[in-house]
Amino acid sequence: MVDPALREIWQHRAIYVAVAAGLILLRLLPVNTTPGRLPGPDLLLCLTLAWVQRRPDYLPAGLVAAVILAEDLFMLRPPGLWAALTVLGAEFLRSRAALTRELSFLMEWLLIAAVMVVLFLAGRLAHAVMFLPQIGFGYATAQVLASILAYPLVVGLSRVALGVHKPGMGEVDARGRRF
Amino acid sequence: MAKKAASPEDFARPVRRLLVGLLVVLLLAIFLFWRIDSPRAERIRAEIIDRVLPGFDWVFLPVTKSVEMLRGFQSYTALYEQNNELRQELQKMRAWKEAALQLEQQNARLLDLNQVRLDPKLTHVTGVVLADSGSPFRQSVLLNVGARDGLRDGWAAMDGIGLVGRISGVGARTARVILLTDASSRVPVVVQPSGQRALLTGDNSIAPPLDFLEKPDLIRPGDRVVTSGDGGMLPAGLLVGSVAQGPDRRLRVILAADYERLEFLRVLRSHGLETIADPGRLVAPAPPSASFVGPMPAPRPVVTEGGAAEASDG
Repeated sequence: MVDPALREIWQHRAIYVAVAAGLILLRLLPVNTTPGRLPGPDLLLCLTLAWVQRRPDYLPAGLVAAVILAEDLFMLRPPGLWAALTVLGAEFLRSRAALTRELSFLMEWLLIAAVMVVLFLAGRLAHAVMFLPQIGFGYATAQVLASILAYPLVVGLSRVALGVHKPGMGEVDARGRRF
Repeated sequence: MAKKAASPEDFARPVRRLLVGLLVVLLLAIFLFWRIDSPRAERIRAEIIDRVLPGFDWVFLPVTKSVEMLRGFQSYTALYEQNNELRQELQKMRAWKEAALQLEQQNARLLDLNQVRLDPKLTHVTGVVLADSGSPFRQSVLLNVGARDGLRDGWAAMDGIGLVGRISGVGARTARVILLTDASSRVPVVVQPSGQRALLTGDNSIAPPLDFLEKPDLIRPGDRVVTSGDGGMLPAGLLVGSVAQGPDRRLRVILAADYERLEFLRVLRSHGLETIADPGRLVAPAPPSASFVGPMPAPRPVVTEGGAAEASDG
């Protein structure tokens, strides 16, 4: 007999991996090969941060690292850098999950926006330190802005469609501890 | 569960921190490895993509097709007019085709008279575009042909009309084509009537600019741009596009290849131009294997057909 709470956690981990794979494949589709269009939001980052913020127990750091590393590999980014930054950002949110649980959505949004901007700047800094070619600042900023704007949408969708909600007052995690 | 004096939770937090720290260090180590030994890391990446992506062929094809169909519906209303236009253009094209055929025959006769040998090794492999780079900041596509089909790094990829890019990264079953529009793409070109040499520098826009022009005054919008073959990477004389002047008064190239729909790409087999590296080879050539001994084979005008037809298109 499997504990329902545990089963739910593993279900959501599987859903996360499936959604991430879907997002990566969708972006790999050769439907637009013309350059110069505005970059869309980084939905995988939104999803990761939203889930870590809401249900830290669904996304262990190892899973986030593996998924984002795979994204790095397929999107032709320097492998490992963005994954490391995302894990750091996720851990930052996770360590403050108990404090930020009571925040209103607006404050949460601001917090996430700040994390995204910091991650973006840290990434650019790392590129500069390693003497790697940078993406044009305007382009990259457009992507960060789009990600910030897309965040509420991702939160809403994961709540309605995937059942990711903040833990209620008396809820306990898989090991019987209170959140 | 009975709680002991020192509950496991007290240890869990520092251990967790340590593990996460190790994870981040591991990821950064991967990044450093990539930075230090980029070619090897890129080979590993190509290998992984080569293993994984062809398995998702069944996803790519229907989704791509249905997206294209949706787009087709949007332009459905314009189809009728387009059809009429196409008919008229076809009429004109027939006349041009006739002219081209006559010119081609004439060309072949002249080449034959001159005993010119126009790179008879320029055969091609055709591949289907499997995936694109997935990132708005990088312009490349993945083909479903690879080392298995004899592809090598550096070969030119064209669609029916013009140059599209260059092979960079070959897996067993896939190969990546860096498009001319990618920010890291540099292709030596020559602008046709004036013979000015320049570098076509991709900058992530649809019309890449021309750099290092000696005399920009000699160039007019509309001039043909073809590859120059400098540096021995790409064969010379492949059509790239035509010159245009952007709003910033920079000379740019409108690419001849149809970047809107890259579906089938032709990879030209170019078996490295001979480079003379050291003088000793000139004095005493060491033939590794005498594949043929005897007179030069007769020129094969058949192979040059494609090139001649393409040249008359532009």
